Amino acid sequence: MRLFSDEPKQGGGKPFAFFRAGLSPSSAQKPILVFEEVFKFFKADQPTLRDVNLTIERGEFVFVTGPSGAGKSTLLQLVYRKQTVDEGRILFCGRDIARLTSESVPYLRRNLGIVFQDFKVVPHWTVFENVAVALEILSMSRRLVRSRVAEALERVGLAGRGQDVTGTLSGGEQQRVAVARAIVTEPALLLADEPTGNLDPHLALDILTLLEEIHETGTTVLFATHDHTLLEQRPHRIVYIDDGRVRDARKGLSDLAHTRPTVPHPESAQLDARPSNVVPLGAPRLARAY
Amino acid sequence: MSLANSITRAARSMREEARLHLVAISSLTIAFLGLGLTLLVSANVESVADAWGRSARISVFLRDGAAASEVEELRMAIEGLPEVSAVDHLTAAEARESFFEGGTADEATALRSIPADAFPASLEVELTAGVASTRSAEIGERIAQFSAVDEVETYQGWFGRLESLLTAGRNLAIGLSLLVLLSVLLVVGNTIRLAVAGRKDEIEVMKLCGADDAFVRGPFLVEGGVQGFAAAFLSMSLLTLGFLLLRDHLDATLAALAGVRTVFLPPLFAVGVLVAGTLAGVLGSALSLRRYLTV
Repeated sequence: MRLFSDEPKQGGGKPFAFFRAGLSPSSAQKPILVFEEVFKFFKADQPTLRDVNLTIERGEFVFVTGPSGAGKSTLLQLVYRKQTVDEGRILFCGRDIARLTSESVPYLRRNLGIVFQDFKVVPHWTVFENVAVALEILSMSRRLVRSRVAEALERVGLAGRGQDVTGTLSGGEQQRVAVARAIVTEPALLLADEPTGNLDPHLALDILTLLEEIHETGTTVLFATHDHTLLEQRPHRIVYIDDGRVRDARKGLSDLAHTRPTVPHPESAQLDARPSNVVPLGAPRLARAY
Repeated sequence: MSLANSITRAARSMREEARLHLVAISSLTIAFLGLGLTLLVSANVESVADAWGRSARISVFLRDGAAASEVEELRMAIEGLPEVSAVDHLTAAEARESFFEGGTADEATALRSIPADAFPASLEVELTAGVASTRSAEIGERIAQFSAVDEVETYQGWFGRLESLLTAGRNLAIGLSLLVLLSVLLVVGNTIRLAVAGRKDEIEVMKLCGADDAFVRGPFLVEGGVQGFAAAFLSMSLLTLGFLLLRDHLDATLAALAGVRTVFLPPLFAVGVLVAGTLAGVLGSALSLRRYLTV
């Protein structure tokens, strides 16, 4: 299923995802996101994430859950480089993003779509402007921007609302604007950090349903939430974070009770040890999206 | 990042924060106006100096009743000097008519009541370029010894004062230029700092969507340039308008005092002010962004 009408039709999946990551089509077979022995400390003696080993396959829908302060948001922030790992590496489409230079981070984020709990839309901009900014960053032509934004708004149920000032919309509608902005660039990976946290249960389910529809077009979705009602209603894979460690339940909540935390790597106690295959500093940045 | 996109976003932001930018532009316009006025006055002082030939001129006023042969002898003696390039005999009538030139019709009518013999005949001596003022004074002393000569005016005092005025004017203009540049940097820098603070939400959103340095900074640089250009343009426009409105009165005053018309700044200079204002605005914005915007 194609998300945008001007997208060239190719066989299976989303044709631009791995091209946008600057890799060959054969890379499409690799997992989209891999955490290898990742540690993150905010306090020296208390790791927020400890020895996280996690693989997210292309096209998966994964809930990331856990108690408050467990590290759900931190896990996502490591992916879009708001935070940096203290140990280990994170491979996105096969490239270690933990080693990216700060100049390369914008190009990483152009391959991601991010939705936040507090929406992060500009209230005095119009709906169109809030969504279009993601395409203007890619230096797209005005005509193409108008076309893509219209399609994205239609996709999220806000067709014809482009000229409305975003601040006048309801919370649910503003979050839809944020989702439209996240998907308008057709990202390989969509990160949703508690996107329903500020919404009532009915709207929360609407947003979840919307993200599932987007997922069905081939986008990989990481959905961080502490709302168990959502987990109960959808049998997606769950990554549970507790005390910094990760438990993986591939069949949803029912599977969670039967899983154990991932076994620590024998070298994980040596905090200054580095895996032998770590990509050196100064790894080339990801290619531009367009 | 495209320039067109930066301009579009800058225009939108300036519309949203119009008051902030208007205050900045108004302040800068006053600064540019002060500089423009100083330069205008300097230009006119320089014009007077040029009209009077600086120190390369001597007026030899002839004694009433001097014989034509004496005047001719004097003229030939003066023309023989190597420092003299030309000698022009001005009769009393010619001197009277040249005095009326440059004045208004009303002034000419009022001045015509002055008797003709109030304007003495003279020999107007033009010296070659580069004649030292001491040599000019020496020549004047030698000419004064001729019997046909009543008085010799070398204009040393006037030229000395004019030169001092010109030097002071130039120094003032340089000082004011630096002050105006500093004003532009500070005012634009502060305005951009406020704009950055007011738009931190937008900046955060752009960064999360993958905007690089150039995309975030571009509109702010455009805004700084627009502020500098607008201030320079407004000041030049006000200066021009003021000059056009007051030109007739200024012409009469300057003509009566120094026998020259008022002049305005050269067009190239106005273009230079616009370019300098724009560049100073961009520079002020860039310096402020470097300090207050981390991307």
